[in-house]
Amino acid sequence: MSEKTTNVIEIRDLSKSFGEHQVLRKIDFSVSKGEVICIVGSSGSGKSTLLRCINKLEKQTDGKIFFNGKEIKDKQREVNKYRSQVGMVFQSFNLFDNMTVLKNCMVAATSVLHVSKQEAFGRAIAHLKEVGMAPYINAKPSQLSGGQKQRVAIARALCMNPEVLLFDEPTSALDPEMVGDVLNVMKGLAKTGLTMIIVTHEMAFARDVSTRTIFMDKGYIVEDAPPSQLFSNPKNPRTREFLSRFIAG
Amino acid sequence: MTDTPSNMFEWIVFLATKYAGMFLDGTKITLYVAVVGTILGFVLGYVVGIIQDISINKEDFILKKGIIKFFKIICAIYVELFRGTPMIVQGMIVYYGLRQAGVEIGPIFAGILVTVLNTGAYMAETVRAGIKSIDRGQKEGAWSLGMSPLLTMFKVVLPQAFKNIIPEMANTFLTNLKMTSVLNVIGVSELFLVAKTAGGTYYKYFEAYLVIAVIYLVLCFVFTRLFTFIEKKIAGKKDYVLAVEYMEDGK
Repeated sequence: MSEKTTNVIEIRDLSKSFGEHQVLRKIDFSVSKGEVICIVGSSGSGKSTLLRCINKLEKQTDGKIFFNGKEIKDKQREVNKYRSQVGMVFQSFNLFDNMTVLKNCMVAATSVLHVSKQEAFGRAIAHLKEVGMAPYINAKPSQLSGGQKQRVAIARALCMNPEVLLFDEPTSALDPEMVGDVLNVMKGLAKTGLTMIIVTHEMAFARDVSTRTIFMDKGYIVEDAPPSQLFSNPKNPRTREFLSRFIAG
Repeated sequence: MTDTPSNMFEWIVFLATKYAGMFLDGTKITLYVAVVGTILGFVLGYVVGIIQDISINKEDFILKKGIIKFFKIICAIYVELFRGTPMIVQGMIVYYGLRQAGVEIGPIFAGILVTVLNTGAYMAETVRAGIKSIDRGQKEGAWSLGMSPLLTMFKVVLPQAFKNIIPEMANTFLTNLKMTSVLNVIGVSELFLVAKTAGGTYYKYFEAYLVIAVIYLVLCFVFTRLFTFIEKKIAGKKDYVLAVEYMEDGK
């Protein structure tokens, strides 16, 4: 099926409908190791749904998802294993409210990957340092600001040593001052060679950080190109229209 | 005691003194049935509530789907039956029903059994509502880390649901403390039956029931304070300690 084995994630003919309403239409794209892909597009274009399908939080109506060349079926056990290797960062953070920052970062490593407590602790501290949140290990999520929560959420995902990290509008719920902190963390991650797929409205970030930018509209991938090309010379009129607002504003 | 009490207050004191031992035993039995019945009822309620929350996955084996469906139906019937009938009737049916079926069951044991079943049915609904009240994002966060639905339930959802329904659990216990009084009909010698007996001896029902009313009131007062204390303890501290050892450049 997959012609190149270097593709970490491969999406073939993916469609998704919510009842009558078709959100994704025949999506086709692949991601190779180390790529940073930004998916942009107006609200309702299906980009978040696509990301949620990739992590199996939504079941696709049609089409296939391959991870390292292996098709991911709907069997719960397979899905769990796959998700432990593909992390996700949400717009609404989704930190566990009943746990401290430290526990948030340790719980999945110990209970899913079955690593030792010391190992999980080491990972948690290392990644929390990476995002600048290590001093807050004793805090509960409710005691943190949005930007802090999102950085913890990124650290939590990193503690699983994922091969791919998905970001679903990670800065959309943050106030402007905090957006920068989170984007800086993500820039740092991109430099480490982590494979990332990012749904975002931060055009400047997409332009500067991504290796490829995908523009989606009405459930289709309209354009898929390196940012240098997509932002300076968009081929499709719809892309041009969408980006004109960004360039003008 | 040579002279008989002449007014209500003297009667109250007289009855409370004369039957002090019985009132004390009645209090013990009321507490025993309420505490054991409620705790086991909570356990039952959690089990039933969790079963009712399990969603059937289309991809599962037909046998697994069948078993889950079976348990869900059993739970639904159980909740319906026990929420739809009065505890006093349940007490009669369980006690006399089991006796007729040849099961030699003591009144206290029957009383606890009824309390457990009754509490379980109400608690199941409370637990289900508690689980439903947890934001879907909490589950998605857990799933996205590869946690199974079961692990998600026990590590993330239930601890939060538990905290949310503590007030309701306290409420249920207080209700049970008072509801044990209906168990006098099957001969559980709890407070109500003691009052009935003591009052009946002298035809001083009003005074006898006043005595146990005070006892119930004191018990509820004490437990209410205890639960408030526990709730505060579980809510945890409002502040947290910065881990200074991980601070960098004075940030």
